[in-house]
Amino acid sequence: MEAGSIVAVRNLVKRFGDLAAVDGVSLRIEKGEVFGLIGPNGAGKTTILRIMATLLLPTSGYVNILGYDAVKEAGKIRPFISYLAEDAGTYRNLSGREYLSIVARIYFDSDTEASKAVEEAIRISGLGDRVDDRMKTYSKGMKRRLQIARALMTKPRLAILDEPTAGLDVFHAKHIREVVSRHVKEGGTVVLSSHNMLEVEYLCTRVAFIHRGHVIFEGAPEEIKNELGASNLEEAFIEVTSR
Amino acid sequence: MRKLVSLVEKEVKDLLRDPRIYIGLVVPVVLMPLLGFLMSTSMSSSIEAGAKGLKIAVLDYDKTVLSNAFLNLSRSLGADVKSINVADIETAVGEARNLGSTALIVIGRGFENDLVNFRRASVEVYVVMETMSLGSIGAYSAVEGLLSVSSKIFSNMLISKLNPSISPDVVREPFNVSTRSILKDKIIEVPPQVLFNQLLMGYSIMIPLLLLMLSITVVQFAATATAVENEEKTLETLLTFPVTRYDILLAKLLGSSILAVIGSILFTGGFILYFNNMLAMSGFNFPVGDVSQLLPSPPPESFILLAVSLILAILFVTSLGVAIGALSSDVRMANSLLGVIIVPIMVPSFLMMYGDLSTLPLSLKLLVYALPTSYPIMIAKDMVMTPISLEAILGIPYSAALTVLVLYATSMLLAPEKLLTIQYRLRLRGSRRRQIKELETSLQ
Repeated sequence: MEAGSIVAVRNLVKRFGDLAAVDGVSLRIEKGEVFGLIGPNGAGKTTILRIMATLLLPTSGYVNILGYDAVKEAGKIRPFISYLAEDAGTYRNLSGREYLSIVARIYFDSDTEASKAVEEAIRISGLGDRVDDRMKTYSKGMKRRLQIARALMTKPRLAILDEPTAGLDVFHAKHIREVVSRHVKEGGTVVLSSHNMLEVEYLCTRVAFIHRGHVIFEGAPEEIKNELGASNLEEAFIEVTSR
Repeated sequence: MRKLVSLVEKEVKDLLRDPRIYIGLVVPVVLMPLLGFLMSTSMSSSIEAGAKGLKIAVLDYDKTVLSNAFLNLSRSLGADVKSINVADIETAVGEARNLGSTALIVIGRGFENDLVNFRRASVEVYVVMETMSLGSIGAYSAVEGLLSVSSKIFSNMLISKLNPSISPDVVREPFNVSTRSILKDKIIEVPPQVLFNQLLMGYSIMIPLLLLMLSITVVQFAATATAVENEEKTLETLLTFPVTRYDILLAKLLGSSILAVIGSILFTGGFILYFNNMLAMSGFNFPVGDVSQLLPSPPPESFILLAVSLILAILFVTSLGVAIGALSSDVRMANSLLGVIIVPIMVPSFLMMYGDLSTLPLSLKLLVYALPTSYPIMIAKDMVMTPISLEAILGIPYSAALTVLVLYATSMLLAPEKLLTIQYRLRLRGSRRRQIKELETSLQ
């Protein structure tokens, strides 16, 4: 693996039958980065994130996470990453606190550390007293905030967030962006996908445009905008995909 | 261990608080005793009503002292007897119905003459079947009882007339039979019928039924618990946690089994209350309890074999449940697929409940031997009646091997790559089927 890289992906291909969801993607994500994957629905963003999260196996190519082979050493990677799926659900009959506590006890060997993580998650989620209610009573936004809190409370070395602010109102979306930024300042690395170009521009240190399973452009938001003469990432993306 | 305990806690709490599950747990406790009470009350009241209000119309063609004595005897036994005087049976039936009688008894001509000459006297009975309920059975039983008592009294009279010094009971039943049963070389001081009632109820029906309920409950819980993970999109997240797929599988097996055991205890309680209510009904007084004390106790090792075979059977069906749940995108789909598992589990249980394994055709025997769920039933039946059969003992290593194989296959299925691919294919097949149906509908 390249020195200092948290994620190294080379010539990644993932096929579902005849469909090539990911077709020859290569990426490198450095420590302390917030790396954004941008692209329309079906571009292959979620498949790339699922492979990084050790959920799916590549058809071909090489994926290295934190120095481990994502195929052969998935078990070694999992304690250091956390994954937030785009449509991650909750256990309807557990309270938010119970869920967080169960997850914390899976990640931490000591009860003190687990309790600290739960309190941190409750703070991140902003659920207050509602954290003790059953999750079936939560709104979509509350469930999302809880899941983001769950993903970040374990202080993962790599947080893989698929559409982290989907379904959140502007206030909570802003709060979550701040939480993600703080996580990176504290030494974490984040790779995320988003449809919200403004969010990506604000949050990400580097981005990759994904289109039909390929990376069609990659760089820091400012570099991309300058290179393509666009005023924002949305214009830049349209410019690249229309070529 | 800490990770496994956390996962089991999640399973148990989530399942126990799910209305789809706890309603299933609580309903038998409430419903079964209620059902038993309602059935016994309805049966008792119907039978009592049939017996109490016994109205009989009598068409006496003989009109002699003895035929009149029969009428008086019937009245003294509590029947409301109305004499009718018509020429033919059809009119008598109409009259009996108008009087609201339960039955019409026709005393034939020559009744007295036949009796005094020690010939059988002719009595015809026409029972009015008003409804197809237990009330009609009660009425019929009451008429039968009346005729039986009358017949005995007339028989005593005739025997005494022949020889006043002998007991009519000895003439009627010259043998004083006392039957005992031999079980595992031990003489039991009860007739086989009583023993059979106990064994049939306890070992041949109750235990297989409870094991069957346990199997069905556990497979349902496991399938539901896993399908809910798919439906609520939580399985994907769970599979990224630093736990092995064996931990996830074991947690599901343990969580479902804990709940299934609770469910079975509640079901057993409900079932016992149901039977207590049913047995409390008049006419169903089996000598329950005493007989079991007379039975030879099963050897201690048979309980160990039963426990091991039961644990293996539960693990086997639970892992099948997890596999079904994992392949299902939602609970509804899991419930549809459950039929594929439940039917083969049920068939051997019923075969062994109502039949003798040794007399079954080879194909059915193989089906029974193929399933680990059969062996606890086999052992439970063998425990009391005979030494544990070699087939049942060999069934334990066989069940263990098959269960390990199924557990391994299920754990392999919990790899997201396989799971997502199979679910994708199932969905694709479903959508293709829908497309064909839509096409067929549009062409019609």
